[in-house]
Amino acid sequence: MDAKKAAILGEIPRLRRYARSLLRDRDSADDLVQDCLERALVRLDNWQTGESPRRWLFTIMHHLFIDQMRKVNRRGEGAMLPLEAGEAQAAPAEQVESIASREIIDALQAISPDRRAALVMVAIEGFSYAEAANILGVPAGTLMSRIARGRDELRGLLDDAARRRAIRIVEK
Amino acid sequence: MTRRDFSERDIHMALDGELPVDEHVAYDAWLDANPEMKARGARYVADRAALRAAFAGVLDEPVPARLQKVVFGEAPVKAAVSRSRWWLAAAAAAVLAIGGVGGYVAGIGHFGLEDPAKDQLAEQAIAAHVIYAAEKRHAVEVPASDKDHLQTWLSNRVGLKLVAPDLAAEGFQLVGGRLLPAGENKAAMLLYEDEKGERISLFVTAESAEKAKGTYGSEEGGPEAIYWLDKGYGCAVVGSLPRAQMTAVAKSAYSQLLAGLDS
Repeated sequence: MDAKKAAILGEIPRLRRYARSLLRDRDSADDLVQDCLERALVRLDNWQTGESPRRWLFTIMHHLFIDQMRKVNRRGEGAMLPLEAGEAQAAPAEQVESIASREIIDALQAISPDRRAALVMVAIEGFSYAEAANILGVPAGTLMSRIARGRDELRGLLDDAARRRAIRIVEK
Repeated sequence: MTRRDFSERDIHMALDGELPVDEHVAYDAWLDANPEMKARGARYVADRAALRAAFAGVLDEPVPARLQKVVFGEAPVKAAVSRSRWWLAAAAAAVLAIGGVGGYVAGIGHFGLEDPAKDQLAEQAIAAHVIYAAEKRHAVEVPASDKDHLQTWLSNRVGLKLVAPDLAAEGFQLVGGRLLPAGENKAAMLLYEDEKGERISLFVTAESAEKAKGTYGSEEGGPEAIYWLDKGYGCAVVGSLPRAQMTAVAKSAYSQLLAGLDS
Protein backbone atom coordinates (compact mmCIF):
# COMPACT_ATOMS: atom_id res chain seq x y z
CA MET A 1 0.00 0.00 0.00
CA ASP A 2 1.43 3.37 -0.87
CA ALA A 3 2.24 5.96 1.76
CA LYS A 4 -0.50 8.36 0.71
CA LYS A 5 -3.22 5.78 1.14
CA ALA A 6 -1.80 4.72 4.47
CA ALA A 7 -1.86 8.32 5.63
CA ILE A 8 -5.47 8.70 4.51
CA LEU A 9 -6.49 5.51 6.30
CA GLY A 10 -4.92 6.86 9.48
CA GLU A 11 -7.09 9.97 9.31
CA ILE A 12 -10.41 8.15 9.03
CA PRO A 13 -11.14 8.08 12.78
CA ARG A 14 -10.63 11.85 13.00
CA LEU A 15 -12.73 12.46 9.90
CA ARG A 16 -15.51 10.33 11.37
CA ARG A 17 -15.42 12.28 14.60
CA TYR A 18 -15.64 15.60 12.79
CA ALA A 19 -18.47 14.33 10.59
CA ARG A 20 -20.32 13.03 13.62
CA SER A 21 -20.14 16.40 15.33
CA LEU A 22 -21.47 18.08 12.18
CA LEU A 23 -24.28 15.63 11.46
CA ARG A 24 -24.96 13.62 14.60
CA ASP A 25 -26.50 10.62 12.87
CA ARG A 26 -23.85 7.93 12.58
CA ASP A 27 -24.72 6.57 9.15
CA SER A 28 -25.13 10.03 7.67
CA ALA A 29 -21.78 11.04 9.13
CA ASP A 30 -20.10 7.99 7.62
CA ASP A 31 -21.73 8.76 4.27
CA LEU A 32 -20.14 12.19 4.40
CA VAL A 33 -16.76 10.62 5.22
CA GLN A 34 -17.21 8.21 2.33
CA ASP A 35 -17.97 11.04 -0.10
CA CYS A 36 -14.90 12.82 1.23
CA LEU A 37 -12.64 9.79 0.77
CA GLU A 38 -13.92 9.20 -2.75
CA ARG A 39 -13.23 12.79 -3.70
CA ALA A 40 -9.81 12.64 -2.07
CA LEU A 41 -8.79 9.54 -4.02
CA VAL A 42 -9.84 11.09 -7.30
CA ARG A 43 -7.72 14.12 -6.48
CA LEU A 44 -4.78 12.30 -5.00
CA ASP A 45 -2.47 14.17 -7.34
CA ASN A 46 -3.57 17.52 -5.92
CA TRP A 47 -2.23 16.54 -2.56
CA GLN A 48 1.17 18.09 -2.38
CA THR A 49 4.03 16.38 -0.65
CA GLY A 50 4.58 17.87 2.75
CA GLU A 51 1.00 19.02 3.16
CA SER A 52 -0.63 17.54 6.23
CA PRO A 53 -3.05 14.79 5.19
CA ARG A 54 -5.31 15.84 8.02
CA ARG A 55 -5.63 19.41 6.81
CA TRP A 56 -6.10 18.33 3.22
CA LEU A 57 -8.84 15.82 4.06
CA PHE A 58 -10.62 18.11 6.49
CA THR A 59 -10.70 20.81 3.82
CA ILE A 60 -12.28 18.44 1.32
CA MET A 61 -14.86 17.23 3.80
CA HIS A 62 -15.71 20.68 5.01
CA HIS A 63 -16.36 21.86 1.46
CA LEU A 64 -18.66 18.91 0.85
CA PHE A 65 -20.55 19.72 4.02
CA ILE A 66 -20.88 23.46 3.48
CA ASP A 67 -21.82 23.14 -0.21
CA GLN A 68 -24.61 20.81 0.71
CA MET A 69 -25.83 22.99 3.57
CA ARG A 70 -26.01 25.94 1.18
CA LYS A 71 -28.00 23.96 -1.37
CA VAL A 72 -30.34 22.85 1.37
CA ASN A 73 -30.83 26.41 2.52
CA ARG A 74 -31.43 27.69 -0.99
CA ARG A 75 -34.08 25.11 -1.69
CA GLY A 76 -36.04 25.97 1.40
CA GLU A 77 -35.28 23.44 4.05
CA GLY A 78 -38.75 22.83 5.40
CA ALA A 79 -40.42 21.94 2.13
CA MET A 80 -37.94 19.30 1.03
CA LEU A 81 -37.16 17.72 4.34
CA PRO A 82 -38.21 14.08 4.31
CA LEU A 83 -39.65 12.72 7.50
CA GLU A 84 -36.95 10.08 7.87
CA ALA A 85 -34.29 12.73 8.18
CA GLY A 86 -36.01 14.21 11.18
CA GLU A 87 -36.39 10.80 12.72
CA ALA A 88 -32.77 9.94 12.14
CA GLN A 89 -31.94 13.22 13.81
CA ALA A 90 -34.04 12.52 16.84
CA ALA A 91 -32.95 8.94 17.34
CA PRO A 92 -29.28 8.36 16.64
CA ALA A 93 -28.67 4.69 15.95
CA GLU A 94 -26.88 2.53 18.47
CA GLN A 95 -25.33 5.42 20.27
CA VAL A 96 -25.04 5.12 23.98
CA GLU A 97 -25.05 8.63 25.27
CA SER A 98 -25.17 9.96 28.79
CA ILE A 99 -27.66 12.72 29.47
CA ALA A 100 -24.83 15.25 29.52
CA SER A 101 -23.48 14.01 26.20
CA ARG A 102 -26.88 13.97 24.61
CA GLU A 103 -27.59 17.49 25.75
CA ILE A 104 -24.36 18.88 24.43
CA ILE A 105 -24.69 16.97 21.14
CA ASP A 106 -28.23 18.28 20.73
CA ALA A 107 -27.11 21.80 21.55
CA LEU A 108 -24.27 21.56 19.05
CA GLN A 109 -26.71 20.50 16.35
CA ALA A 110 -28.88 23.51 17.09
CA ILE A 111 -26.25 26.15 16.37
CA SER A 112 -25.62 27.30 12.81
CA PRO A 113 -23.45 25.00 10.65
CA ASP A 114 -20.78 27.69 10.18
CA ARG A 115 -20.39 28.25 13.90
CA ARG A 116 -20.59 24.54 14.64
CA ALA A 117 -17.80 23.77 12.21
CA ALA A 118 -15.57 26.56 13.52
CA LEU A 119 -16.09 25.59 17.14
CA VAL A 120 -15.56 21.87 16.55
CA MET A 121 -12.41 22.45 14.50
CA VAL A 122 -10.77 24.27 17.35
CA ALA A 123 -12.38 22.86 20.48
CA ILE A 124 -12.52 19.17 19.57
CA GLU A 125 -10.16 18.66 16.66
CA GLY A 126 -7.50 20.89 18.17
CA PHE A 127 -6.62 22.93 15.09
CA SER A 128 -5.02 26.32 15.63
CA TYR A 129 -6.94 29.43 14.55
CA ALA A 130 -4.67 29.73 11.52
CA GLU A 131 -5.19 26.11 10.50
CA ALA A 132 -8.93 26.20 11.09
CA ALA A 133 -9.34 29.47 9.19
CA ASN A 134 -7.39 27.94 6.32
CA ILE A 135 -9.49 24.76 6.25
CA LEU A 136 -12.77 26.65 6.49
CA GLY A 137 -11.59 29.22 3.97
CA VAL A 138 -12.44 32.27 6.09
CA PRO A 139 -10.36 35.11 7.55
CA ALA A 140 -9.07 34.57 11.11
CA GLY A 141 -11.33 37.33 12.43
CA THR A 142 -14.40 35.61 11.00
CA LEU A 143 -13.30 32.34 12.50
CA MET A 144 -12.85 33.94 15.89
CA SER A 145 -16.25 35.56 15.88
CA ARG A 146 -17.85 32.28 14.83
CA ILE A 147 -16.13 30.50 17.69
CA ALA A 148 -17.12 33.15 20.21
CA ARG A 149 -20.73 33.22 19.06
CA GLY A 150 -20.85 29.47 18.81
CA ARG A 151 -19.66 29.05 22.39
CA ASP A 152 -22.07 31.66 23.65
CA GLU A 153 -24.97 30.06 21.82
CA LEU A 154 -24.00 26.62 23.07
CA ARG A 155 -23.90 27.92 26.62
CA GLY A 156 -27.40 29.35 26.30
CA LEU A 157 -28.74 26.11 24.86
CA LEU A 158 -27.14 24.05 27.61
CA ASP A 159 -28.60 26.32 30.28
CA ASP A 160 -31.94 25.90 28.61
CA ALA A 161 -31.56 22.13 28.54
CA ALA A 162 -30.53 22.02 32.19
CA ARG A 163 -33.60 24.00 33.14
CA ARG A 164 -35.79 21.53 31.35
CA ARG A 165 -33.97 18.39 32.31
CA ALA A 166 -36.55 17.36 34.88
CA ILE A 167 -39.46 18.08 32.66
CA ARG A 168 -39.73 16.03 29.56
CA ILE A 169 -42.24 16.81 26.89
CA VAL A 170 -44.21 14.01 25.33
CA GLU A 171 -46.49 15.41 22.65
CA LYS A 172 -49.82 13.71 22.37
CA MET B 1 4.63 41.74 31.56
CA THR B 2 2.49 43.08 28.80
CA ARG B 3 0.02 45.73 29.83
CA ARG B 4 -3.16 45.93 27.81
CA ASP B 5 -6.89 45.74 28.23
CA PHE B 6 -8.38 42.29 27.99
CA SER B 7 -11.87 41.44 26.82
CA GLU B 8 -14.11 38.43 26.41
CA ARG B 9 -12.32 37.74 23.17
CA ASP B 10 -9.22 36.90 25.17
CA ILE B 11 -11.12 34.22 27.06
CA HIS B 12 -11.57 32.37 23.81
CA MET B 13 -7.97 32.93 22.78
CA ALA B 14 -6.69 31.68 26.13
CA LEU B 15 -8.94 28.65 25.95
CA ASP B 16 -7.81 27.82 22.44
CA GLY B 17 -4.13 28.27 23.18
CA GLU B 18 -3.90 31.41 21.06
CA LEU B 19 -2.99 33.87 23.80
CA PRO B 20 0.72 34.78 23.61
CA VAL B 21 2.69 33.25 26.47
CA ASP B 22 3.98 36.62 27.65
CA GLU B 23 0.40 37.80 28.23
CA HIS B 24 -0.63 34.93 30.47
CA VAL B 25 0.31 36.59 33.76
CA ALA B 26 -1.55 39.79 32.92
CA TYR B 27 -4.50 37.78 31.66
CA ASP B 28 -4.71 35.78 34.88
CA ALA B 29 -4.57 39.00 36.90
CA TRP B 30 -7.39 40.40 34.77
CA LEU B 31 -9.46 37.29 35.43
CA ASP B 32 -8.89 37.59 39.17
CA ALA B 33 -10.09 41.17 39.03
CA ASN B 34 -13.17 40.22 36.97
CA PRO B 35 -15.01 37.34 38.64
CA GLU B 36 -17.70 37.38 35.98
CA MET B 37 -15.18 36.87 33.22
CA LYS B 38 -13.40 34.26 35.28
CA ALA B 39 -16.62 32.34 35.71
CA ARG B 40 -17.30 32.64 31.99
CA GLY B 41 -13.87 31.22 31.22
CA ALA B 42 -14.37 28.33 33.64
CA ARG B 43 -17.75 27.62 32.09
CA TYR B 44 -16.27 27.46 28.60
CA VAL B 45 -13.58 25.10 29.84
CA ALA B 46 -16.28 22.82 31.26
CA ASP B 47 -18.37 23.00 28.08
CA ARG B 48 -15.35 22.11 26.00
CA ALA B 49 -14.57 19.14 28.23
CA ALA B 50 -18.15 17.96 27.80
CA LEU B 51 -17.93 18.39 24.03
CA ARG B 52 -14.72 16.41 23.83
CA ALA B 53 -16.09 13.70 26.06
CA ALA B 54 -19.24 13.41 23.97
CA PHE B 55 -17.26 12.62 20.83
CA ALA B 56 -14.22 10.90 22.29
CA GLY B 57 -15.68 7.44 21.78
CA VAL B 58 -15.79 7.90 18.00
CA LEU B 59 -12.02 7.56 17.74
CA ASP B 60 -12.17 4.12 19.34
CA GLU B 61 -14.87 2.78 17.05
CA PRO B 62 -13.64 0.32 14.45
CA VAL B 63 -13.42 1.95 11.03
CA PRO B 64 -16.38 0.73 8.96
CA ALA B 65 -15.29 -1.66 6.23
CA ARG B 66 -16.99 0.40 3.55
CA LEU B 67 -14.70 3.34 4.31
CA GLN B 68 -11.56 1.21 4.21
CA LYS B 69 -12.68 -0.24 0.90
CA VAL B 70 -12.91 3.23 -0.61
CA VAL B 71 -9.26 3.86 0.19
CA PHE B 72 -8.17 0.46 -1.10
CA GLY B 73 -10.10 1.11 -4.29
CA GLU B 74 -12.43 -1.81 -3.68
CA ALA B 75 -15.59 0.13 -3.06
CA PRO B 76 -18.52 -0.73 -5.27
CA VAL B 77 -20.09 2.19 -7.06
CA LYS B 78 -22.59 3.66 -4.67
CA ALA B 79 -26.19 4.01 -5.57
CA ALA B 80 -27.36 7.59 -5.99
CA VAL B 81 -29.67 7.16 -3.05
CA SER B 82 -26.94 6.31 -0.60
CA ARG B 83 -24.67 9.01 -1.95
CA SER B 84 -27.09 11.75 -1.10
CA ARG B 85 -28.19 10.32 2.20
CA TRP B 86 -26.00 12.26 4.58
CA TRP B 87 -27.31 15.65 3.65
CA LEU B 88 -30.79 14.73 4.72
CA ALA B 89 -29.43 14.90 8.22
CA ALA B 90 -27.76 18.15 7.27
CA ALA B 91 -31.14 19.49 6.19
CA ALA B 92 -32.63 18.46 9.50
CA ALA B 93 -29.77 20.20 11.26
CA ALA B 94 -30.44 23.34 9.23
CA VAL B 95 -34.04 23.41 10.37
CA LEU B 96 -32.93 23.06 13.95
CA ALA B 97 -30.40 25.82 13.54
CA ILE B 98 -32.99 28.17 12.07
CA GLY B 99 -35.37 27.36 14.87
CA GLY B 100 -32.62 28.20 17.29
CA VAL B 101 -32.25 31.78 16.14
CA GLY B 102 -35.17 33.21 18.07
CA GLY B 103 -34.67 32.46 21.72
CA TYR B 104 -33.14 29.01 21.28
CA VAL B 105 -34.94 25.84 20.39
CA ALA B 106 -37.16 24.82 23.22
CA GLY B 107 -37.27 21.17 24.06
CA ILE B 108 -33.97 20.42 22.43
CA GLY B 109 -33.76 16.92 21.11
CA HIS B 110 -37.29 16.85 19.99
CA PHE B 111 -37.74 17.63 16.38
CA GLY B 112 -39.82 20.74 16.01
CA LEU B 113 -40.39 23.85 17.99
CA GLU B 114 -42.14 24.08 21.29
CA ASP B 115 -44.36 26.88 22.38
CA PRO B 116 -43.22 28.63 25.56
CA ALA B 117 -46.83 29.29 26.59
CA LYS B 118 -47.40 25.57 26.93
CA ASP B 119 -44.19 25.11 28.89
CA GLN B 120 -45.20 27.88 31.21
CA LEU B 121 -48.67 26.56 31.92
CA ALA B 122 -47.49 23.01 32.57
CA GLU B 123 -44.52 24.12 34.63
CA GLN B 124 -46.64 26.39 36.80
CA ALA B 125 -49.22 23.67 37.24
CA ILE B 126 -46.62 21.08 38.21
CA ALA B 127 -44.90 23.49 40.59
CA ALA B 128 -48.20 24.27 42.31
CA HIS B 129 -49.05 20.60 42.56
CA VAL B 130 -45.66 19.71 44.04
CA ILE B 131 -46.02 22.38 46.71
CA TYR B 132 -49.67 22.15 47.70
CA ALA B 133 -50.60 18.51 47.08
CA ALA B 134 -47.97 17.57 49.66
CA GLU B 135 -49.59 19.77 52.31
CA LYS B 136 -51.83 17.82 54.64
CA ARG B 137 -53.54 20.58 56.59
CA HIS B 138 -52.98 23.63 54.39
CA ALA B 139 -53.38 22.18 50.93
CA VAL B 140 -56.34 24.44 50.09
CA GLU B 141 -57.63 27.88 51.03
CA VAL B 142 -61.28 27.04 50.63
CA PRO B 143 -62.39 23.49 51.47
CA ALA B 144 -64.83 21.40 49.43
CA SER B 145 -67.44 21.83 52.19
CA ASP B 146 -67.72 25.41 50.96
CA LYS B 147 -67.89 24.43 47.29
CA ASP B 148 -70.34 27.10 46.13
CA HIS B 149 -68.25 29.88 47.60
CA LEU B 150 -65.08 28.29 46.22
CA GLN B 151 -66.49 28.27 42.68
CA THR B 152 -67.84 31.81 42.82
CA TRP B 153 -64.69 33.21 44.36
CA LEU B 154 -62.27 31.52 41.92
CA SER B 155 -64.50 32.35 38.93
CA ASN B 156 -64.46 36.02 39.87
CA ARG B 157 -60.74 36.15 40.46
CA VAL B 158 -59.65 34.16 37.42
CA GLY B 159 -62.26 35.61 35.11
CA LEU B 160 -63.76 32.33 33.91
CA LYS B 161 -66.93 30.56 34.87
CA LEU B 162 -65.47 27.70 36.86
CA VAL B 163 -67.43 24.63 37.81
CA ALA B 164 -65.42 22.13 39.84
CA PRO B 165 -65.62 18.83 37.91
CA ASP B 166 -67.17 15.82 39.61
CA LEU B 167 -64.53 13.10 39.46
CA ALA B 168 -66.29 10.60 41.73
CA ALA B 169 -66.62 8.16 38.84
CA GLU B 170 -62.82 8.18 38.62
CA GLY B 171 -62.53 7.70 42.38
CA PHE B 172 -61.56 11.28 43.26
CA GLN B 173 -63.26 13.67 45.67
CA LEU B 174 -62.76 17.43 45.74
CA VAL B 175 -60.56 18.56 48.63
CA GLY B 176 -60.84 22.27 47.88
CA GLY B 177 -59.11 25.00 45.96
CA ARG B 178 -56.87 28.01 46.07
CA LEU B 179 -55.94 31.09 44.10
CA LEU B 180 -52.43 31.24 42.62
CA PRO B 181 -50.35 33.65 40.57
CA ALA B 182 -49.77 32.61 36.97
CA GLY B 183 -47.36 35.03 35.35
CA GLU B 184 -49.20 38.34 35.29
CA ASN B 185 -52.53 36.59 35.69
CA LYS B 186 -54.25 34.46 38.27
CA ALA B 187 -54.88 30.77 38.27
CA ALA B 188 -57.32 28.55 40.09
CA MET B 189 -56.10 25.31 41.56
CA LEU B 190 -58.57 22.59 42.44
CA LEU B 191 -57.27 19.67 44.49
CA TYR B 192 -58.75 16.15 44.43
CA GLU B 193 -57.98 13.07 46.45
CA ASP B 194 -58.86 9.38 46.14
CA GLU B 195 -59.50 6.99 49.03
CA LYS B 196 -55.82 5.97 49.15
CA GLY B 197 -54.79 9.59 49.59
CA GLU B 198 -53.47 9.96 46.04
CA ARG B 199 -53.90 13.56 44.90
CA ILE B 200 -54.36 15.25 41.57
CA SER B 201 -54.85 18.91 40.83
CA LEU B 202 -56.50 21.02 38.17
CA PHE B 203 -54.84 24.24 37.23
CA VAL B 204 -56.90 26.75 35.23
CA THR B 205 -55.97 30.16 33.88
CA ALA B 206 -57.80 32.62 31.67
CA GLU B 207 -54.72 33.38 29.65
CA SER B 208 -53.99 31.75 26.35
CA ALA B 209 -53.85 32.83 22.76
CA GLU B 210 -53.79 29.58 20.85
CA LYS B 211 -54.93 26.01 20.75
CA ALA B 212 -52.65 23.24 21.91
CA LYS B 213 -52.68 20.12 23.97
CA GLY B 214 -50.08 17.75 25.25
CA THR B 215 -48.50 15.95 28.13
CA TYR B 216 -45.62 16.96 30.34
CA GLY B 217 -43.95 14.36 32.46
CA SER B 218 -40.89 14.17 34.57
CA GLU B 219 -38.37 11.47 33.80
CA GLU B 220 -37.81 10.54 37.41
CA GLY B 221 -41.39 9.52 38.04
CA GLY B 222 -42.52 12.89 39.36
CA PRO B 223 -45.93 14.32 38.54
CA GLU B 224 -46.96 14.80 34.96
CA ALA B 225 -49.28 17.38 33.53
CA ILE B 226 -51.82 16.87 30.79
CA TYR B 227 -52.75 20.26 29.45
CA TRP B 228 -55.02 21.99 27.01
CA LEU B 229 -54.77 25.52 25.75
CA ASP B 230 -57.57 27.18 23.88
CA LYS B 231 -58.53 30.72 23.08
CA GLY B 232 -58.96 32.48 26.37
CA TYR B 233 -58.09 29.72 28.80
CA GLY B 234 -55.56 27.09 29.71
CA CYS B 235 -56.05 24.00 31.79
CA ALA B 236 -53.62 21.45 33.17
CA VAL B 237 -54.36 18.29 35.12
CA VAL B 238 -51.39 17.24 37.26
CA GLY B 239 -50.77 13.99 39.08
CA SER B 240 -48.58 10.91 39.42
CA LEU B 241 -51.12 8.32 38.34
CA PRO B 242 -50.41 5.55 35.83
CA ARG B 243 -50.64 6.97 32.31
CA ALA B 244 -53.97 5.39 31.33
CA GLN B 245 -55.69 6.42 34.54
CA MET B 246 -54.18 9.88 34.32
CA THR B 247 -55.50 10.33 30.81
CA ALA B 248 -58.99 9.14 31.76
CA VAL B 249 -59.20 11.47 34.76
CA ALA B 250 -57.84 14.39 32.79
CA LYS B 251 -60.31 13.91 29.96
CA SER B 252 -63.22 13.73 32.34
CA ALA B 253 -62.06 16.82 34.21
CA TYR B 254 -61.48 18.75 31.03
CA SER B 255 -64.80 17.94 29.42
CA GLN B 256 -66.61 18.99 32.60
CA LEU B 257 -64.61 22.21 32.85
CA LEU B 258 -65.48 22.99 29.24
CA ALA B 259 -69.16 22.29 29.84
CA GLY B 260 -68.98 24.52 32.93
CA LEU B 261 -67.42 27.40 31.00
CA ASP B 262 -70.30 27.40 28.55
CA SER B 263 -73.06 26.90 31.10
